[in-house]
Amino acid sequence: MRVLAYEARRLSGLRSTWIVLATVLLCDAAVAALLARQVSSGPLTVAAAVRSVTAAVPLLPLPIAAIGAGVLGALSYGHEVRHPGLAASQVGYLRRVRLLFGKVVVVGALSALLAVVTVLVDAVVTRLALGPAVDASQVFARGALTGGGRLPVALAVFAVLAVAAGGAGVLTASLTRSASAGILLLCALPVLLEAGLALFLRQTGTARADAADEVLPLQYGFDWVRAGSGPAVGGPLDLADPALLAVLASPAVLLVLVCLVAQLRRRAL
Amino acid sequence: MIQITGLTKVYRRGRPPALLDLTLDVRPGLVTALLGPEESGKSTALRLMLDLERGQGVTLFGGRTYRGLRRPEREVGVVLPTVGGMAGHPGRTARGHLRMLAAAAGVPTGRADELLEQTRLAAVAGHRLRVFSPGMNRRLILAGALLGAPGTLVLDAPTEGLSPRNIEWFHSFLRSFAVAGGTVLVTTRTPQEAAQLADRVATLEQGRLVADQPVADFRRTRLRPEVSVRGPQMARLADLLLGQGALVRRDGAVGLAVSGIGRTEIGELAYRHGILLHELAERVVEQPAPRAVLPASSGRSGQVQLHKARTASDGSQPAPTVPGPQAAPGPHGTPGPQPVASPPAAPIPHAAQSPEPARARQAVLTAPAAPAAPVVPVAQAVQAPQAPLGTQSRVPDVLLTETQHLAPLEPLSPTQALPVMQAPPGSVPSSLPPSPLPPSLAPSLSAPLSPAQQVPQGRQAPEPGYALRAAFAGAVGTNLATATASATTSATATTTASAAGTAGTAAVGAAATGTVSTGTASGASALSGAGAHARPSDPATPAPVVGPDHRSE
Repeated sequence: MRVLAYEARRLSGLRSTWIVLATVLLCDAAVAALLARQVSSGPLTVAAAVRSVTAAVPLLPLPIAAIGAGVLGALSYGHEVRHPGLAASQVGYLRRVRLLFGKVVVVGALSALLAVVTVLVDAVVTRLALGPAVDASQVFARGALTGGGRLPVALAVFAVLAVAAGGAGVLTASLTRSASAGILLLCALPVLLEAGLALFLRQTGTARADAADEVLPLQYGFDWVRAGSGPAVGGPLDLADPALLAVLASPAVLLVLVCLVAQLRRRAL
Repeated sequence: MIQITGLTKVYRRGRPPALLDLTLDVRPGLVTALLGPEESGKSTALRLMLDLERGQGVTLFGGRTYRGLRRPEREVGVVLPTVGGMAGHPGRTARGHLRMLAAAAGVPTGRADELLEQTRLAAVAGHRLRVFSPGMNRRLILAGALLGAPGTLVLDAPTEGLSPRNIEWFHSFLRSFAVAGGTVLVTTRTPQEAAQLADRVATLEQGRLVADQPVADFRRTRLRPEVSVRGPQMARLADLLLGQGALVRRDGAVGLAVSGIGRTEIGELAYRHGILLHELAERVVEQPAPRAVLPASSGRSGQVQLHKARTASDGSQPAPTVPGPQAAPGPHGTPGPQPVASPPAAPIPHAAQSPEPARARQAVLTAPAAPAAPVVPVAQAVQAPQAPLGTQSRVPDVLLTETQHLAPLEPLSPTQALPVMQAPPGSVPSSLPPSPLPPSLAPSLSAPLSPAQQVPQGRQAPEPGYALRAAFAGAVGTNLATATASATTSATATTTASAAGTAGTAAVGAAATGTVSTGTASGASALSGAGAHARPSDPATPAPVVGPDHRSE
């Protein structure tokens, strides 16, 4: 509990936190407006709406909000390395692990909050920026979120992605002991992971890759894998599938384990 | 209570250890200073104590290691040097920083404001750390360390690079913390600060604990009050002072360092004899710590072996020539101060104290690793600092230069001025600003040139090594002439000196004059008398001097 209070105070007392958050929201709004402008006339598809609302640009390895969360996480650890508050009291292993855990939790919570605010802001921006010829009644209907379908799943995946990126930012920075190196590593992760995971899914014979393509606002490995392996036999992505969950969760668990082992060899964060 | 046992750190295999077997008890209610020059292992010791580095040895804070403490920030406050001296992130305010640390330490936020008041930072609490001065940053770090109200403080160079005002604040704070029953361990580089701040001073040198003394002993053995005198007629003043029994050492071109006599007395003496003074100031001079010599069988003494030989060689010479002011030492008596604490002084092995220095020196010259080299365990060195030994072994190059500069108005080499160490404790004056005499006090006198300046510079030994050896032999001859009056030894000394150069013969001549004039005076005073009377008795002697500008040639 003390760790959480400390981390919350640390985050809120830094100007960089607020700068990062504001930058993320501004960029999100700009990208959402741009994407909404490009939507062709006719009814608004769910995929286009998700892309616009989450501001997922194919140029970037992660949605902007997820990148912002990762930056916050990496800075959180990097500041601890450069300006240790009570350096000597972080000698014990358990204390360091506790602090790491606290950082992941606080940054994760902040990331979830950031994702929610991003979606809200971007929805407003998209709605305002859509051209008059676009029929958005299907997506912006009253029961679009509650009534099943792809949209709530995609938004939930987006939020999970942001939270995961925040936590991964903390952990990658803890591996490299540097905020910038942690951010770079974090940006490299999805490129590697996505392709690897897609390959793995194809190897296991479950052709879910193309379905994941629609849900996840990521653009890397799926296209590449599909291009190489002929037409995909698509089925709906079942997020409750334990195999899929295990595949998605394994990199995160691996990262946590590596960080815990790395902390064993250290005397300070 | 901190119990430090056997802290050892070797950074690289084969290298001498950065810290070797540091064992020390830090008691509550006292400020303990860990004193040592740079790279002597102070910070390493602290980091090892806090388990911030891997190494050998155990440190117990109230019976537990630092890692084993349940709430370390509630029991031990730590002030370590930080990157750039910043207390925290430069963009954070002081209050925000302390509140954050308070949250980490699990103390209420009010405690942070309280500590801001206590460290005199309340007025600037809302400002960001990037505008803080080093002193403010250091005080903020201290406030952070005090958040959990610990009973123990461990500080690494807390006053380094601070203004005098901040240093004074830190000193008074740490002293009051200790008076309130706290345990304080602080490192410092300057002996003066250690003497001011600490109740107990542990001296580290090259990773070894060479002394662990109460501050009274420390002041007595490691600090030496001196009066620095400057003026145009220092030669005359030196003669007068020597007549008064003071110990005079040359200090620069036109200065004297006088010990054994007060500042006021020097001033009065100068006034009475009409000597113009430009400066008359008290100061405190550091004495090097005695060196602990490792036993040869420890396996780590490879590097120390050299020092040991040098210790034996250098320590052997002054021993007969340095009697205490009160009494000349017996044939095996210790010339250094008598130890206060038990165990009693370790008897110096005979090689280090041989009455025939020439022989000892010969032995050392031929066999650098003398088998009879003294083995002084740390504990004994701690209890009975053999100051002449330490001085000699510590600064061989200083000895060299000083001996080269042997001048007629400097009859005592600095190593022979050691009896001053027996000045009573508490006689350490605070350093005062130089107070030049008003010119009206000094009668108008034609200021003659200092004899050192009159001396032609061409007639000295061509090589510094020779000059050193010659002067050295001269000193040896002096000792022997006064002590034993043995014709053969003085003859050998004279031959050595004449073979080496003119400086040595001059010194021997001075010694002879001194013997004649002072009669039965013993040891150092005889020697000083020799130096004192040598110059006026034979002012026409053209070049008995290795001038002060010797090395420029």
